[in-house]
Amino acid sequence: MNESEPSQASFLDRWRLRFGHLPWYRRYEGLLLVVAVWAAGGAWLLPEAGRPDLPVALAVVAWYVAYFLAVATVLVDREKPTWLKRIGSLTVLALFGWLFVRYSGTRWDRVQDQFFAFDRMDGVWAMYLQGLTVTLQLSAVAAAISLVLGLTLGVLRSLHHPVLELFIGLYVDFFRAMPLIVSMVVIFYALPFIGIRLPAFWAATLALVLMNSAYQTEIFRAGIESVTRGQSDAAAALGLSGVQTMWHIVLPQAFRTIIPPLTNNLVSLVKDTAVAYVITVPELLTNAQHAVVWKRTPTPLILSMFLYLATLIPAIHFTRWLERRSARWVAR
Amino acid sequence: MSGTGATGGRDPMIEMQEIHKFFGPHHVLKGLDLQVERGTVVALMGPSGSGKSTFLRCMNRIEEPSSGVVRIDGMRINELRVNIDQVRADIGMVFQEYNLFPHLTALANVTLGLVHVRGRSRREAEEVGRAALARVGLADRADQRPPELSGGQQQRVAIARSLAMRPKVLLFDEPTSALDPEMVHEVLDTMRELATEGMTMVVVSHELGFLREAASRVVMMDDGRIVEEGPPSQVLGEPEHERTRTFLGKLL
Repeated sequence: MNESEPSQASFLDRWRLRFGHLPWYRRYEGLLLVVAVWAAGGAWLLPEAGRPDLPVALAVVAWYVAYFLAVATVLVDREKPTWLKRIGSLTVLALFGWLFVRYSGTRWDRVQDQFFAFDRMDGVWAMYLQGLTVTLQLSAVAAAISLVLGLTLGVLRSLHHPVLELFIGLYVDFFRAMPLIVSMVVIFYALPFIGIRLPAFWAATLALVLMNSAYQTEIFRAGIESVTRGQSDAAAALGLSGVQTMWHIVLPQAFRTIIPPLTNNLVSLVKDTAVAYVITVPELLTNAQHAVVWKRTPTPLILSMFLYLATLIPAIHFTRWLERRSARWVAR
Repeated sequence: MSGTGATGGRDPMIEMQEIHKFFGPHHVLKGLDLQVERGTVVALMGPSGSGKSTFLRCMNRIEEPSSGVVRIDGMRINELRVNIDQVRADIGMVFQEYNLFPHLTALANVTLGLVHVRGRSRREAEEVGRAALARVGLADRADQRPPELSGGQQQRVAIARSLAMRPKVLLFDEPTSALDPEMVHEVLDTMRELATEGMTMVVVSHELGFLREAASRVVMMDDGRIVEEGPPSQVLGEPEHERTRTFLGKLL
């Protein structure tokens, strides 16, 4: 069962030289036999379900790797048909899943009543709605302010004015280097000691805005600089002012390059609102955590996970769609 | 506005005096003088790096001259109090790489300046724009975007974009150098028509056939200086200077 392991490349090469004139299915008759022996060995030797000891676990892994190599042998043959490629890959994945279910020691019987205990969720749904509202408010407010700030700073930075360049450069470096959770905690827990008190919501908003506008400054600047000099020359030659050129000519074209990184940034902004949990903003994750304590089941956390996914996966697909749409008038 | 008295009875549309231009330590233009009379076509030629494009770009201050005087229609335009955007609206410019706005249709390219610089209504601008496109033979391409047009068509849209502004003068910066050979003539034909209609033009070009036919004067430049200038029959036919002769020899 591990005849294909030692010096695999030269073995394959010799095999190909000998059987190259045959159609692909005749080349692997021997391999089919190997897989049959492998399957029989598995049925005979595989341990019972449950978490095995280390040596047994290693044997199971080796058994899995043997099948993986058998499939790989066929997959590297360029003449294989597509359906074989699909079935081969799928079986490798399915086998992994089956082995995980069987030997990881996970208490599968508990998944249903611990993770999906919907019968204990009375009163939690209202908390969710509240938390979701706060998350969305936080996202929308932070996104709006940081977009305005990022666009302004990005445009200013693209002018390459030495003084502006210095200040914006420092700002951008500082808040890109600063972990979000640190600036949030500093703003909420440290600044009150020197007399600056912000409500939790606005402290979170400020931290999100500072970090994301720093990233967006760079995104906007790069987008603006991707528009060629000739475009602004042509606009200037028509008599358009600098502001008009920026608005009618440069920004619309810059958005083509800006959209993918910008929407990525906005998606991660929405995700990052969960960090506001550490400064007691009653957003989705905070409320889920409260519900966990209240109902003594992790179901609310699982639910909030699905809620984030359900919100953000469509958002990501929307960004792809935007990308494809804006690619339509890409020139040259 | 025209300063006939100051220039001794002649009627220059463009007057360049003692133009110097530095790019960092590089002295690119070394004190150039040039007059372009109203209704004439002046051609600038010379090897690459001779400063002809930079000189042309100084005429509407897309490139800022380091020193010297630029007068358009008698008015000095390189002064602080001059609103350069207003001046540029009267000077059309056509670029080697067309520089059409790829996110706008051909018609929108042409009407942009009319709406946002001239302050015309959108309907009025579209009328003028369609007329300008018809004049370069592209009335049926009004709603297409630049990437859907051939190089020659794009360059003609660029000419229409300048024409729509009703400029006093048109500047051409190697308008046919980026074109495939079979598209060159369609652009040159358009330019020839403009010349016969009496448009004042300054053209950076090495299309000798076109220059012989359409240019009133040819200016040969080298190393930031004017080597010689005169009617095309003289400069292209019997050049006085060795530099011009070797340059023309390499063109053929």
